[in-house]
Amino acid sequence: MNRLIFALTAGLALCVSSAAFSQTVGFADAIKILAASCGKDIKAHCQSASLANNGIMTCLEKNQSKVSEKCNADRVVVIGLIQARLAAQAEVAKICNRDMAQYCKGVKPGAGHMLRCLLKAQPSVSNKCNTAIDLAGYR
Amino acid sequence: MNRFLLAGAAAALLLSTTAGFSQTKLSRNEIINSLQGAQQEVDISADALQKAAIDNIQKYPGANSPNSLPLADKLASLRQFNVEITFHFDSANIAPESYETVGLIADALHTPYLAGQTFFIVGHTDAKGAREYNLELSIKRAQAVREALVTTFRVPGEYLFAVGLGEEQLRDPANPDAAVNRRVQLINLGYK
Repeated sequence: MNRLIFALTAGLALCVSSAAFSQTVGFADAIKILAASCGKDIKAHCQSASLANNGIMTCLEKNQSKVSEKCNADRVVVIGLIQARLAAQAEVAKICNRDMAQYCKGVKPGAGHMLRCLLKAQPSVSNKCNTAIDLAGYR
Repeated sequence: MNRFLLAGAAAALLLSTTAGFSQTKLSRNEIINSLQGAQQEVDISADALQKAAIDNIQKYPGANSPNSLPLADKLASLRQFNVEITFHFDSANIAPESYETVGLIADALHTPYLAGQTFFIVGHTDAKGAREYNLELSIKRAQAVREALVTTFRVPGEYLFAVGLGEEQLRDPANPDAAVNRRVQLINLGYK
C-alpha cells in the first residue's frame, strides 16, 4: 500500500512536469513542501547539510530508511516541481517570439519591459504565449 | 481529458500539502517592487565592501564599532530589500522554516523584471559576541543564501555577490543587540 501511494505521488509529479497545459508552481511554493514534509527529518538527520548543492536532498536520500514516508515521497515531487518551473521559464522567450515582434515593436528589452508589453496586450497575444507566461509564473 | 483530470488532482494535492503550513506575509511581488527600477550608477565592488568591513574591525577595535561603514552608507540609496532568514544555531545552514523565503527570492530574481541585474546579498548579525566571529558567520551565511539560489534554484551566479558585514553596519545602532539587526539585505546594483 505504501508503495502504491509513493508511485501515485511520483506519477502526479511527473504529470505536473510533462503535461503541456498543467500548472506549475513557484520556487517558494515548491520548496515550502520540502520544509513541511521533511522539516522534522531535516532537523533530526540533516542539520549539517546545506540546502545548496543538493546537500539536503542527498542527506534525505541517504537516510531514507529513517525518514518519514511523506518526506520520501515529497522530496521527489519537489525536485520535479522546481524543474518544471525552470523549464517553463526557459521556454517563454521562444514561444512568445512572434508576439513580441508583432505587438511589442520598439520596446527595448530588459527590466521587464517586454513582459509588461505582452501582459498589456494579453487579449491579442496568442494563446500559446499567454499560456507560456502563466506556466512561467510571470503574470 | 485524463491528463486534465490528473493535472487537477496534482493541483489539489499541492493545495492540501501546503495548507496548514505557516504562511509568511512576504510575497514575491513585494520583493520585486522593492528591488526593481535601479537607476543610479554606484560603482562599488563586493570585494571592496567586504574589505571595508574587515578593515573597520582592525582600525576601530573594541566590542562595538563606533561608526557605520562609509562604503555601505553609499549603498543606502539603492533599491533594496531586507529579509529575515533563520539558520541553524551557530551554523550557516538555512533552517527549513526559511526555505520558503529563499524560494521567494528565487521567484523574484527569475522574473524578467529583475533578471540580468546584479545583486549583492549582504549578511548582517546583531552585536552580541565578538565582531570577528560575527563577521565570519555573516560571510558564511550570505554565501549559503547565494549558493542555495544558484544551485537549488538555478539563479545565474554571475549576477549574485555575497558579502558579510557582521555587526559593522547595524540597522538599529541604538539597540545593537536587537533582532532587527539580524538580516539579509538584497541590494540591486543594476545592469553591469
